Amino acid sequence: MHYIKDRLEDIIAGLVTVGIGLFIFVEAGGYRMGTLYSMGPGYFPRLLGIGMMVLAVVMIVTARPSKVTLSFRFEQFRGILFLGAALGAFALTVERFGLLVSVFLAVLLAAMANQRTTMVGALTLAIGTAIVSTLIFRVGLGLQIRAF
Amino acid sequence: MTQLFSDIALGMSVAASPSGLFYAFLGVFLGTFVGVLPGIGIMATLAMLLPITYHLETTYALIMLAGIYYGASYGGSTASILMNLPGTATSAVTGLDGYPMAQQGRAGQALFMTAIASFVGSIFGVILLAGFAVPLSRVALNFGPQEYVALMALGLIAAAVIGLGKPIRSLASVMLGLALGLIGLDLNSGVARFTFGQTALYDGLPLVAVVIGLFGLPEIIANAGRRDMPKVQATSFRLRHMLPTREDWRRSSMPMLRGSGIGGLFGALPGTGGLVATFLSYAVERKVSKHPEQFGKGAIEGVAAPEAANNAAVQSAFIPTLSLGIPGDPVMAIMLGVMMVHGILPGPGVIQSSPDLFWGLIVSFVIGNLMLLVLNLPLVGMWVKLLQIPYNLLFPVIVAFICIGIYSVNYQVSDILVLVAFGFLGLGMRALNFEVAPLLLGFVLGPMLEEYFRRALIVSGGELTTFIDRPISGTLVAIITLMLAWTLGSALWRLLRARKAAV
Repeated sequence: MHYIKDRLEDIIAGLVTVGIGLFIFVEAGGYRMGTLYSMGPGYFPRLLGIGMMVLAVVMIVTARPSKVTLSFRFEQFRGILFLGAALGAFALTVERFGLLVSVFLAVLLAAMANQRTTMVGALTLAIGTAIVSTLIFRVGLGLQIRAF
Repeated sequence: MTQLFSDIALGMSVAASPSGLFYAFLGVFLGTFVGVLPGIGIMATLAMLLPITYHLETTYALIMLAGIYYGASYGGSTASILMNLPGTATSAVTGLDGYPMAQQGRAGQALFMTAIASFVGSIFGVILLAGFAVPLSRVALNFGPQEYVALMALGLIAAAVIGLGKPIRSLASVMLGLALGLIGLDLNSGVARFTFGQTALYDGLPLVAVVIGLFGLPEIIANAGRRDMPKVQATSFRLRHMLPTREDWRRSSMPMLRGSGIGGLFGALPGTGGLVATFLSYAVERKVSKHPEQFGKGAIEGVAAPEAANNAAVQSAFIPTLSLGIPGDPVMAIMLGVMMVHGILPGPGVIQSSPDLFWGLIVSFVIGNLMLLVLNLPLVGMWVKLLQIPYNLLFPVIVAFICIGIYSVNYQVSDILVLVAFGFLGLGMRALNFEVAPLLLGFVLGPMLEEYFRRALIVSGGELTTFIDRPISGTLVAIITLMLAWTLGSALWRLLRARKAAV
């Protein structure tokens, strides 16, 4: 058990690689393979899947003890959450409500990823960026995105 | 000789035209601007500004992208020297001695020497590029698909094995990248591969979203929660106060030349690029120096040599990219990707079929570096002010610009979702210590590698021996085999030794 615990990082990396390799191999199995002379769409991806699985085995076999570096700091979690929300908000609103609203939401949510930013500061930044970016991209560069 | 003059004249007609000058300036300006911002590296800079270039003509797009690239390396060094906050590993080397110099009140001299060393290195790299790319592409015109497969494989494997990170994991990154590159319609059979019924994926994954997701987002997320920012060392940035002493010049001139040589050589090799060159040139200077004990405490050689090496490598990296169509590092992979987006098939034919593009780029490199000299010497005070913008107000704006940039390429909301997906992939890979740069190389080369692999086997009637029968591809395959054997061998060797030690 200690053996696995000490080498957790390498082993997890190997298992993830095996998983992805297997997925590619199985998915590629759905496409015609063909022969070396006339390759079908499934030939090359199958090779890649096998290659990844081989590499994964090497990773697991040669796993060496290391301190587990799989640590998430809370700050980073907060960053992921709010930046994910910011991008999601932009994707959801840009076509329906236009540039002003979507940029406002994206900046506001992204700004909240940092604890030091005050609500007033975030709001001001969001409004300012929405107006300036609409002026640059819609009015200035003439991109085909609705302003509102 | 007359040929060279007419080539340069052709380059001038492109690069020195009003648009050529404008986009070169825009590139180096934006590159320095974003590169100097703390915590944002070259890849993130390039990724963020990439969408802008999609709306330009190919030559101008490449001129501007290249300008962003070397502009960002100038800017990155500034942040590294003044705040010890390097955006990239290459500018970290500059900070080793640059930051101590700044603490001793010699930031001006460090910045001045950085600018000069970068310029010397760049010009050296450009000369190599002008001298070697054309003959190399002539040789490469005789290459068959076998040679291309071998060259691409060599580039990918070298990038994985020699670069940062654990070689086996980087090889896995390359494979994943190759597979991701296959997403979309297969050109030969019309079969949709790995699209899972999503028609938005038929054209393959959007390059911009992939690049920003892998390189830009994780960097922003890592810094978003940051509460404190290091202070900039207060110094006078009047040009008069920045001038290096006679002693500084004397100590820097040889390191600059050695650095340029090392950078020019390593930049042109696949997979090694600027990183190996900067570290190596720093190590070499410490070895040959009469006072190695000063290194790390503000030795000016430690600023001049790696900076020259880095910039020489930046330019000579274009040699394999433009003459063979084989990118050596992720930045060159982006360049190739942009060429493909604009409908240019990278390869030895490019120099012959669009000499205006090739020579225009070369001349614009010289012009761009001259502009940088002006931007970074008399105007450095402006960038120092920029360093004082608090990051917590900066990154939300960057996020918004990223969104608009990606959306404006295809006007597809799904591209933003690809961005988020690759952001998570990038985070996950960093958490497990996988390098993302090899993945990007694989992603760009994936479709080409498959196509040439297929063609090589059709030509040879399905005989795999065709890759070792031919002299050039045989040599390349031998090198690849040696590299792989060495990687696997050393992994096993360490394992056996660890076992023995445990017993």
